[in-house]
Formats: sequence, structure tokens, C-alpha cells
Amino acid sequence: MDKNSAALYKKMQTEVESYQNLQKSCVKMVKQRAMLESQLNENKCVLDELNLLGPDNKVYKLFGPVLVKQELEDSRQNVGKRIEYISKELKSSSDTLENMEKDMLKHREAVGKYQQQWQVAAAMK
Amino acid sequence: MAATPSAPGKTEMIDLTKLNPEQLMQIKQELEQEMTKIQDSLSTLHGCKAKYAGSKEALETFQSNWENRQILVPLTSSMYVPGRVKDLNNFVIDIGTGYYIEKDLDGSKDYFKRRVDYVQEQIEKIEIWILQKTRFLNSVIGVLELKQAAAAKMLQAQQQSQPAATQSS
Repeated sequence: MDKNSAALYKKMQTEVESYQNLQKSCVKMVKQRAMLESQLNENKCVLDELNLLGPDNKVYKLFGPVLVKQELEDSRQNVGKRIEYISKELKSSSDTLENMEKDMLKHREAVGKYQQQWQVAAAMK
Repeated sequence: MAATPSAPGKTEMIDLTKLNPEQLMQIKQELEQEMTKIQDSLSTLHGCKAKYAGSKEALETFQSNWENRQILVPLTSSMYVPGRVKDLNNFVIDIGTGYYIEKDLDGSKDYFKRRVDYVQEQIEKIEIWILQKTRFLNSVIGVLELKQAAAAKMLQAQQQSQPAATQSS
């Protein structure tokens, strides 16, 4: 009986650990997503601004400390591509987050189950 | 049960009175955390607005007869070199993500005006949100206080009538 409850306790412990690990990566994921969102916003603003420009406006891009002249059309395309890329990243991170939450729920349920079994085992002693 | 909500009736109100004090406390704490975060971003937005408005003001001071005027160009915040205004009608503006665009005076003013307006819009949105959250928080606190008062009263009444009574929650 004692062996049994010890085994149960161990199982519970591993579940709790994996739950906590998931929680940590979940927090990281949320931060990452917030960053992606702000980048997406910034890029959208830039694209809006670029779309307002006429052919006589010059566009520069900052590379390190120097400004390099860019073609307007190229810049538009580049920013558009970046928006596309960031949107994709955002979506995948949202998906991962959703899966993580599901996994967390599973682990939590498992912990509850083991806890119950353990209590029952302890009561029967 | 003496739990008539003091705040204007909302759909959440119905649930609030049914929750137990622990749950209410949790809601209160979460709301408070959220509020601090929102306040933080609100002050960031105000800072952004001030920056854009400052750039716009600097542009407003530019006058058309300033061609060739001598100015001091800052190299650091405390060191300057003399320079001359050569081109009054071209400004390079940082529009974010490393892109800079060249615009004439009116275009630049327009750009900053639009930015200020945009940030103002966001600020107003957030302020409405804060108002709603504050109202909700206040009603949570109100119900919580009522519950605590009721619980304290009940405990007192029990202690007075029969010291060994079992507590009903």
C-alpha cells in the first residue's frame, strides 16, 4: 500500500512539474505574441504612410547608422511582405498558445485525479 | 440578502452577488493588475503624443525667410556646430521600422498632425475602457464589502445566540 501511494505521489509530482513548465512557456509565448502584435502595428503604420506618398517623395532605409535611398515601390513591397510574415508568425503563435492551454488543462485534470487516488489510498491505510 | 448593487445595472451584476468573497477578491486583484497595465500604456501613449506634437511645433516655427540662416546643429545634447539652413522645404521623417521619408514643410506638418490625431484616438479609446473597468471594479468592491459585512454580522449573531453553533456559509 505504501509503495502504491508513493508511486502515485511520484506520478502526481511529474504532472505538476510538466504543468509548471507549460505555464512558463505559456507566459513566454504571450510575451512573444505581444511583441509580434506591436511589430505588426508599426509595419501597418509604415505601409499606410508609404501608400500616401507620391513618386516625388524620397524614401530612405536605415542600415546601421546610414540612410540608404530606396525605391518607393520596393519599400512598399518589402513592408507588405514583412506584414505577411509577421501575420503568419502571429497566427502560428496563437495556435501554439491554444494547444498549450489545452495541454495545461489535461495536466491539471491528471493532477486532480492522482490527488484523489492518493487521498483514497491514504484513507484506506 | 442585502445586496442591491450600487453601480448601474450591468449583466455582470447578476453574477457578482452570487460569487463568494474569495472569488470576488480574485476578480478584484485581476482587475487591479489590468488597470495598472492599462495606465502604463496610457502614459506611454501620452508620451508619444507629446513627442509628435513637439516635432510639429518645431516645424511651425520654421519660416520661409530662414534660407541661409545660421543655426547650431547639435552633435550631442551639450555640443553644437554652426550650420546654415540650405533647404527649407525638405524634411526627413522617421516613420518607423527603419524607414525614413522625405517630405516638404506642409507634408511634414500634415504627417505629424495625423500622428497626433491617431495617438489621441487611441488615448480616447483606452480612456473609455478605463472608465468601464473602474466602474466594474467599484461594483466588485461594493459587493465584496456588503458580503463581508453580512458575514461579520452573521458570525456575531451566531456567537451571541449559541457559542458552539456550526457555521453555515
